[in-house]
Amino acid sequence: MEIIAFVNNKGGVGKTTCSKLMAEYLSKKMRTLCIDFDPQCNFSHQYLHMEIDPAAPEGLMPPIHPDYDPHDPDDNDWDGRSSIAEIFYGQGVVPYPTYVPNLDIAPGHAEKLLSAESVRRSEVVDKVHKQLANFLNSPDVHAEYDAVVIDTAPSKGPLTISVMKAATHIIIPSVMEEQPVQGIYGMLQLWMQESLIREKNRPLQLVGILPNMFKQTRLHKDILTSLQDNSAIGKYVLPVKFSQRIVFAEVDAADSSPRSIFDFQDQHVAKNEAMEVCSHIAERIFA
Amino acid sequence: MSKKKRFGISEALTRGLSETIHVVENNTGLFRNVILPLSRIELDPDNPRKLAIDLSDIRAGIRPEDPLYARKQDELERLKELAHTIKTSGVINPVVVYKLGEVYRVVAGERRCLASILAGKQEVEARVFNEKPKGFELKLIQWVENTAREDLTLDERLDNVRDIVHEYQLQHGKTEVTATLLKNITGLSLSQTTYYLAAMNAPEDVQIEIQNGGIRNLDKAALIAGISSHDVRKHAIEACRNGSSLKEIRSIISQQKSLKKNRVDLASSARGRNTVKINMGSTFHADVVRQIIESVVSRQEYDKYLDVFSQVNWLDLRQTTKAFRKLIELMERETAL
Repeated sequence: MEIIAFVNNKGGVGKTTCSKLMAEYLSKKMRTLCIDFDPQCNFSHQYLHMEIDPAAPEGLMPPIHPDYDPHDPDDNDWDGRSSIAEIFYGQGVVPYPTYVPNLDIAPGHAEKLLSAESVRRSEVVDKVHKQLANFLNSPDVHAEYDAVVIDTAPSKGPLTISVMKAATHIIIPSVMEEQPVQGIYGMLQLWMQESLIREKNRPLQLVGILPNMFKQTRLHKDILTSLQDNSAIGKYVLPVKFSQRIVFAEVDAADSSPRSIFDFQDQHVAKNEAMEVCSHIAERIFA
Repeated sequence: MSKKKRFGISEALTRGLSETIHVVENNTGLFRNVILPLSRIELDPDNPRKLAIDLSDIRAGIRPEDPLYARKQDELERLKELAHTIKTSGVINPVVVYKLGEVYRVVAGERRCLASILAGKQEVEARVFNEKPKGFELKLIQWVENTAREDLTLDERLDNVRDIVHEYQLQHGKTEVTATLLKNITGLSLSQTTYYLAAMNAPEDVQIEIQNGGIRNLDKAALIAGISSHDVRKHAIEACRNGSSLKEIRSIISQQKSLKKNRVDLASSARGRNTVKINMGSTFHADVVRQIIESVVSRQEYDKYLDVFSQVNWLDLRQTTKAFRKLIELMERETAL
């Protein structure tokens, strides 16, 4: 089972869009689990009707699970909702099916994720950092899925660090502009910290920096070139990229049809681009 | 005409990115620095440092009936000094450990661990090797750590080197250990490794003296080890024990050598024509002659000749030669009388 995470502490660089495309691409070939580790829960909202919790002004929570039966004595101890944040509270995670075959999601839970992020510094190592890795390394998860795709919060905090500890592969999507590139630096720092303490036989692979929302402007082209031309960074800049296309945003709308880029007709330029990027990444990870 | 603007990422960011990548590429999975509970730490019984005191002595106190009581008490006093600084400023360099089952075994930093316990600490900062270092690497780490210390005896250092050589041979087969090979392994200078080799291969009496602490200095050990004559060596060891400097020991050796040489020369002059007279030799230094003449005429029976030499210009070799001939002539006459 490979665990792929999209990380960048700069927000708005397309982590969620990339996670979604990658997860949908992989689900055509293998059993895939999405994990939403961002308290904003945008990724979850793609596949589930997330609910506003009236008691929590923080934001979204998962809907009642389709398998939940209030009359079943087995479900007595369960309120019918399950998010990935349950791992911080010693509770089981029950992934939700999505409208995409072969694709499940463990959604976020705004309040619970936020409180995990704000655990006291001295407790964070035990209470947060290792929890996601423990969960994903459990035999149940291994038996159920072949790939895990994690969308992360735009931060360098405990949530992102726990993703670094759990992941086998990270991809850093970035807009080719100064501030998102600074976010690359933040992620490389976390990659470094994690790599130094990992055992040699299971390194955290940096698949690469994925240029996203690329426009054929001088700014984007020049910054991409300057990254590619650097002898150290260049080999980590992926040779594929996502262009700025409104259609990537359009499919996010709940009533769009089709709901996946991969269900577009074969000649569609956005579908071709998504296929090219995702197949390249998948080949690097699974070959 | 204004040039079109070119964009790029800032120099500082480029440097930060490439440096970070280099660190990861070169150091993945090498080690990690963590805070370790001291209760999980165990000393390495094979570390060549001969610290008598151990964890139980620190934790439970040294038992008075312990045969090594005095030595351990002495070590404890020295550890207390270190504990004092650890109390105030902590352990500056992390200790080096590797994981062995449930515990962590100390590769380097025994004293720091013991002193931390004395200082009442619960944890110590440690660099954890993910795998147990291989025998040879382990010895090398302990060697590097130990040689950086000043309070290590020559005996302990030699044991270190022996262990390294032993582990090296286990790994690479029984190769002959030369100073150059030792230099390549340890990174020491060639002269240092030459000394170490000499001291390691020293005759037994020297080895014993090193173990007893009579020879504490590597240079001296190597010098004395190189003496082939048993008597001279005994003499040099004696001098070393009494605190003679390297220079003094050297002069003892050269004295003994020249004595021996003279004896040999005197005994072997039987070849060729019979020698009927003595050649007085020659010198480039007028001062030698002046000293001879002055010491002769300072004797009472010759002081009457003082005037003969009072006018000699000692800077003039010709005059000096003449003066010497004169002295011989006078002495021939005096002794004939």
